[in-house]
Amino acid sequence: MNAPRRIAHGFADAPLVAILVAVVALMALANPGRFLSPGNLASLAYQLPMLALLSFGMMISMLTGGINLAIVSSANLTGIVTALALKALTGGDSASASMLFVLIAMAVGLLGALASGALMGFLIAYLEVPAILATLGVMTLIDGINVVLTRGYTLSDFPDALLAIGNGDVLGLPAPFILLVVVVALLAILIRQTRFGFDLYMVGSNLTAAQYSNINVRSVLMRQYMLSAFFSALTGFVMMGQFNSVKSNYAQSYLLVSVLACFLGGVDPFGGAGRLTGMALSVVILQVVSSGVNLLRVDPFFVTAMWGAMILALIAINHFVGQRARSRSAAAIMTNDKDIRLAAGGADKGKIEERR
Amino acid sequence: MKSLLNRNEFYLAILIAVLCAAIGSLNPHFFAPQNILAFLKTSSVNGILAVGVLFVLILGGTPDVSFTAIAQVAEYAVVLATLKWGGNVGIAFLMACAIGAALGAINGFLIHYFRVTTIIVTIATFNVYYGLLYVLTGGGVVFVVPTFFKKFGESLLFSSHDAAGGVYGVSLVTLLWFGALALGWFILRRTFLGRSILAMGGNEVAAERMGLRTVAIRLFVFSFVGLLSGVAAIAHTSIVLSAIPNSIVGKELEVIAAVVLGGASLFGGRGTILGAFLGVLLFAVLRNGLVLLNISSYWYDVTIGAAITIGVSFSAIQQLRARRAKVNVIVTEAA
Repeated sequence: MNAPRRIAHGFADAPLVAILVAVVALMALANPGRFLSPGNLASLAYQLPMLALLSFGMMISMLTGGINLAIVSSANLTGIVTALALKALTGGDSASASMLFVLIAMAVGLLGALASGALMGFLIAYLEVPAILATLGVMTLIDGINVVLTRGYTLSDFPDALLAIGNGDVLGLPAPFILLVVVVALLAILIRQTRFGFDLYMVGSNLTAAQYSNINVRSVLMRQYMLSAFFSALTGFVMMGQFNSVKSNYAQSYLLVSVLACFLGGVDPFGGAGRLTGMALSVVILQVVSSGVNLLRVDPFFVTAMWGAMILALIAINHFVGQRARSRSAAAIMTNDKDIRLAAGGADKGKIEERR
Repeated sequence: MKSLLNRNEFYLAILIAVLCAAIGSLNPHFFAPQNILAFLKTSSVNGILAVGVLFVLILGGTPDVSFTAIAQVAEYAVVLATLKWGGNVGIAFLMACAIGAALGAINGFLIHYFRVTTIIVTIATFNVYYGLLYVLTGGGVVFVVPTFFKKFGESLLFSSHDAAGGVYGVSLVTLLWFGALALGWFILRRTFLGRSILAMGGNEVAAERMGLRTVAIRLFVFSFVGLLSGVAAIAHTSIVLSAIPNSIVGKELEVIAAVVLGGASLFGGRGTILGAFLGVLLFAVLRNGLVLLNISSYWYDVTIGAAITIGVSFSAIQQLRARRAKVNVIVTEAA
C-alpha cells in the first residue's frame, strides 16, 4: 500500500541535496585537509547514528501530528536500566558479563523504553492529552526516575559486546552505522509497505477521515509512540558504547536538534507528510555541520545559537519560496493560519480543533 | 453550581487544600506564616512568568517556550549594566522590561509575519537568545550584584516579629507577582484588548473578519510576555542575588504545565488568571511539602513529573467529558 501524499512532485529532495553539497564544500574549505580526511569521515559515520535514530523516532511521532519530547529521556532510561540489570545479573562485575546476561539486560532496558512509550501512547490516544503536554510530563517523570535510579552518578563498566553496538566495527564499517542502515531500511518497509505505515499518514493528515475509514486511531497512536520509544532504546544502546557510561542527563541538547532535523527534512509538524529520504539527507546535513564547526573549535553555545538561527532561516526560506513558486497548499505546511490551511484543503476543521 | 464542577480551578483549589492539610498534619510548621510567605516569595518568578504564558495560551496555538531565555538575557544584561553604570531598582526594572518586551516583540513579529507555529519559532529564538547570551558573556557567573537588589528583595510590607525576634512579612517580590496577576486580570477582563485576545484565541479567522487587528494583538501578547519575563528577571535577581546564565532557563516546561493545570486550553480562547495562580501555587506547595517532609531531593523531578502527567490527564479527561456532553446536547436538540 502506498502512503498518501507521495504524489508526483519531481525530485522533491533537490533543495536538500543542494544544501548538503554546499555544507560539505563549506566545511571542507573551512577545515582544509581535515574535514574530508578518512579519519574524520569515519568519525562522522560513528556519530551520525545517535542523531539519526533520535530524529527518525521524532519523525514517527510527527507523522501522526504528535511530538515526542521524551525521546532523549527514554534513551537515557534504556541505558540506565540496562546497566543496572547487568549489574544485578552479574552481582557487580558487569564488565565480564556473559553474552546471555548482556542480551537479558538489553531486553530489560528495551522494556523500560517501551513502557515509557506505552505510557505516552495511553495518555495521548485514550485520554486525548495533547501530545506536547503528555510527552512533556513523561519526559520530566522519566528524567526524575533516571536520577533516582542512578542517584545522579555515572554508571560504567560494560562488557565489550555491549560497547560494540556504539563503537565497534564490522568488516571495517562502524557497527552503529550498519545498525542505522538496517533500521532505516526496515522503517522504509514499515512505512511504505504495511497497513500500519499507511495508517500513520492517514491519522496525521486527517484524523476525522481516518476515524470514518475504520482505522483504529487509538491503536495506531499507541503503537506509534511505542515505535518512537523503540528508536529511543536503540539510541540508548548506541550511547552506551559511545560514552562508555550512562547518566541521567546525557545528550539533552539532541532533543532540539532532532526537532530541527524533522523540520529541515520536510516533516509536517501537524502530521501527514514527511519522507524518509528527506530525513536521511537532513540528518546527514546536520551532522556535517555539527562535526565541521566542532573541528573549527567553535564555542558550543555559538552552535546552539546557530541551530536556532538555522530554524529561523528555514522558516524564512519556506515562507518566501512558498509565496512565490508553490501553491497555497504548500505554503500552508508549517503555517498556523487556520484560514489558509482550510483553504488548502490539507486539513479539515476537525483536525485543527482536535489536534493532539 | 454545575458550572463550578466543570471548572479546573475548582478541582485545583480542592487538590491544593487537601495537599496543604496533608503536609500540615505531618509537619505543622507548614502553616507557619513565615513558611507560607517564604514559599510565596520563591514562587513569584514562576508566578510572574505564568501570567505571560497564560496570555500566549489564550491567544491559541502552541505555547511559547522562549520566555525563560528572555528573562535570562534581561537578568544578565541588567545586572551587568547596573554594575557598570550604577542605577537603582526603578532603572533596573525599566531596563529589564524594555529588553524583555523587545525580544518578545521579535517573537511576535516572526510568528505573525512567517505564519509559523509559536513553538517552532520560540524553540529557535530560545536557542538564539540563550546561545548568544553565553557567547557574549562567556558564561561567567556574577556573584556580586548591586546592593539595591538585596534591599528590594528583603523589603517587607506588613512586617511582624516572631517569637525568636526574626522579622517576617509580605515581600515586595511577592507583590510583583500579585501585581502581575492584577494587571493580567485587568487586561483580560476589563479591556477591549483583553476581549480581542480571547476572541482571537477562540477563532482567529472570525476575529479578523470582525475587524480586529490581529497583527497588533499578537505583537502585544508576545511583547507583554517579554515584559513580564523582564519583571520575573528582577524578581529572580532580588531573590538569588546573583546572575548565573542557566538559573532561569529550564523552568519553562514547569510554568507551562502549571498554567495548563489551571485550566488554560492549548487550543486557545480559554484560560483564567485564577487558574494561572492556582497552578503555580500547586507546584509551590508540592515543592515546599517535599522539603518539609524531608523527602530526598532525588524524588523532586519524579514528583513534579507525576504531578504534570496526572494534571494534564485530568484536564484532558475533563475536556473530553465536556465535549461529549456538548455532542449529546446537539443530538438531543436534533431529535
